[in-house]
Amino acid sequence: MVYTGKNAAAAEAPEEPRIGVFICHCGTNIAGSIDVPAVRDYAATIPHVVVAQNYAYMCSTPGQNMIKDAIAEHHLTGVVVAACTPRLHEPTFRTATANGGLNPFRFEMANIRDQGSWVHMHDWDGGTAKAKDAIRIAVAKATKLEDLYPMSVPVEHRALVVGAGIGGIQASMDLAAAGIETYLIEKQPTIGGRMSQLDKTFPTLDCSQCILSPKMAEAGRTPGIKLYTLAEIENVEGYIGNFDVTIRRHARGVLTPNEAAAKGIIGGGCTGCGDCSNVCPVVKPNEWEFNMAPRKAIYICHAQVVPLIYTIDFDACVKCGLCITACGTKKAIDLEMQDELFTIKVGTVILATGYEAFPIEQKKEWGYKLYDNVITSLEFERLICASGPTIGHLVRPSDGETPQSVGFVLCAGSRDNTGIGKPYCSRFCCMYSLKHAHQVIEKIPGCRAYIFYMDIRSFGKAYEEFYYRVQNEGAKFIRGRVAQIQELPNKNLIVVAEDTLLGNQVQIEVDLVVLAAAIQPTAETEIVRRQFGVSCSGDKWLLEAHPKLNPCGTTTAGVYLAGVCQGPKDIPDTVAQAEGAASAASIPIHSGHVELEPYYAQCMQNLCAGCGMCTRLCPYSALSMTVVDGRTVMEVTAAKCKGCGTCGGFCPGGAIKMQHFTSPQILAQIDAFFLGGEQ
Amino acid sequence: MTSAKAYKDAALAARLSDRVYRPAEDSDPSFTAEVEKIGGTAAHLCFQCGTCTGSCPSAPRSSYRIRTFMRRANLGMKDVCLNDPDLWLCTTCYTCSDRCPRDLIPTDVIMAMRNMAAKQGIVPKNFLATVNFIYNTGHGVPNNDANRVARVKLGLEPEPETTCKYPEFLPAIRKILEAYGTKQLADKVLSEGQ
Repeated sequence: MVYTGKNAAAAEAPEEPRIGVFICHCGTNIAGSIDVPAVRDYAATIPHVVVAQNYAYMCSTPGQNMIKDAIAEHHLTGVVVAACTPRLHEPTFRTATANGGLNPFRFEMANIRDQGSWVHMHDWDGGTAKAKDAIRIAVAKATKLEDLYPMSVPVEHRALVVGAGIGGIQASMDLAAAGIETYLIEKQPTIGGRMSQLDKTFPTLDCSQCILSPKMAEAGRTPGIKLYTLAEIENVEGYIGNFDVTIRRHARGVLTPNEAAAKGIIGGGCTGCGDCSNVCPVVKPNEWEFNMAPRKAIYICHAQVVPLIYTIDFDACVKCGLCITACGTKKAIDLEMQDELFTIKVGTVILATGYEAFPIEQKKEWGYKLYDNVITSLEFERLICASGPTIGHLVRPSDGETPQSVGFVLCAGSRDNTGIGKPYCSRFCCMYSLKHAHQVIEKIPGCRAYIFYMDIRSFGKAYEEFYYRVQNEGAKFIRGRVAQIQELPNKNLIVVAEDTLLGNQVQIEVDLVVLAAAIQPTAETEIVRRQFGVSCSGDKWLLEAHPKLNPCGTTTAGVYLAGVCQGPKDIPDTVAQAEGAASAASIPIHSGHVELEPYYAQCMQNLCAGCGMCTRLCPYSALSMTVVDGRTVMEVTAAKCKGCGTCGGFCPGGAIKMQHFTSPQILAQIDAFFLGGEQ
Repeated sequence: MTSAKAYKDAALAARLSDRVYRPAEDSDPSFTAEVEKIGGTAAHLCFQCGTCTGSCPSAPRSSYRIRTFMRRANLGMKDVCLNDPDLWLCTTCYTCSDRCPRDLIPTDVIMAMRNMAAKQGIVPKNFLATVNFIYNTGHGVPNNDANRVARVKLGLEPEPETTCKYPEFLPAIRKILEAYGTKQLADKVLSEGQ
């Protein structure tokens, strides 16, 4: 049955509220810790309650039909479901309420599971009493509920992807393929992210650049993708369907061919020839190679960059002008270039801001940055990579010699509750360390690989088989977390750990130690998160809307997550989530409009004194002053209002009404709590 | 009034509520709780990574394995723990506690076990000899002539600012040792010849 907006029964007798209460067992989640029949019998005695029922799974089809049937049979004006959380099942029960012919906003939820049975699991009487209170309060609100109507707003047919690692690239390509113009914003001068720094990928050992570069190139030339590198989000306004995002393009100092053409330089702009870099006198460490290789002040990070446009490091540039001469008639270099700000309008947004290595030098017992031959796994990737600073010849930093024994320290900073490291598992370290062990055994005949591990978490498809393979190749596995590393005068290292399976302390001398450092969100993640109003979990990874059933969405409508910014994951999982996020982000765009919850503020203009103080308090710029019948009063732009209630709580005249959270509704709830109760 | 949710069969409830895996017949679940109470650290959160033994200066020189004691503590192996002479080989340097990734204090688990062992009269003689030193001089390692010469050489007074210089405070220290029964324990065990 389709919701028609008005209940015929309610229209006939609007003065007396008739509430139905439906109590869910949630299997034994609720019924195992709360006396549901007692709660039901109590609910039936609450004023205005005309029917109280209980059922094993209220969210199931029979459960929803109970609600629907009761609305018709008892001419209900309001529905209370005592079950889990609104976040989980408010949409479900609203639909059921609407199917019964009531306005869906006549539904109110009492949370007796997450805030009831689960927290009072061993307190039968206390949990039961609390459930009764929660239902009485919900009934009080239900008696005051009003019909509300969602607002439909059009959705801009464009999307934004923040971060151009493999996740961002995949999401952009999918969106573009679905016919949605997509802005891809990257802070670095090139796209590609962490994956472009890797040598090979587990467990198939295909070369990271070989599978990534074609995707980077395609992302760079797909017409549907508007790529902006060296760019950051400056400001975000708006809401799902209509985000106004201001982008800051940092001064690159070099014009692209298109930009040169726009300036009237025919045949100009950077072609990536590198003549400028050859003459540049300034040498700096290349951050992209973890400072293990040099670069000039005008540079590209590596040979496969997309876009192939040189970049000037203005902090290092001495403005000698040699590059301008070398560039010649292409006139690509502009040493006076300034940052550029521009605003784009998009319907949905995908965040793919990735990760960085935890500063593992904070764990002093492993001696990173103290001992020359202790390196991180990302540095190892560059040292073993054919396009890296050593052209793929693994050397140890202290003397450039080929190591004959390498120690791999797993869980370096992960699974650490001391407050220095990270309490979570970084999830892909086991697998890449197995791959590293394979690589040293393969590349350096006779080289010994020692893997110090607590558990090998080879969870993915063909991962356990890879573990078997590396073990078969001769890697030595020592089950024990490394306690300390000591340096010898010849710069060799003593790795000290307990072989816990043997029960003995072992001290193994190796030439090189690789720390599988924990990962953490990039510094930009926190900034971008605040700009888009996305929540994060305690460990600072961005918070998904539901850990199992909505892993790509966020609690901010229209903003989605892809890749490691949501939590540690390897390349296959990142790509899968990126495709999921692209799909989710395209749904509102393709449907063309979204419905917004009618929880916006309303100004009762007959009460408004026109003081205008609320307009300055509103965090969303949703309020403005207008003149009605010669009086200055406040006006709400409903689509901008998020219903936070800041204005309503402040208004000295009580002229602002928060829909669905009105003062009479809230006061009724408070009264029900303090004045009601079992007689 | 509140009541705990319980199974009707009391024996079944007791068995299901026992969350401790017990490999030996004589293991005692209350031992884990007692160790945690005295030691002030949540020993049951140990995940046996071996960082403690790897950090231990005693481990390469002895049969002492702190991780093994953590495991035994969690399995309630009271008699094994308290009767194992290795219990007394910890130097209490606290390096394991500095490095434990679970932020536990293995050293204090050992200290808790030593406390419990001492209450049962299980203490090595050399520890009790130290008790007597403290009782007699106020020091576990008393001052001696070589030390006095060294101190004078360094420009210090021969006696430090302790009971060495102020023997009038010795009775107070003796009172403490007697009040807690430490002195009596030392005398009893040492006289028995262990």
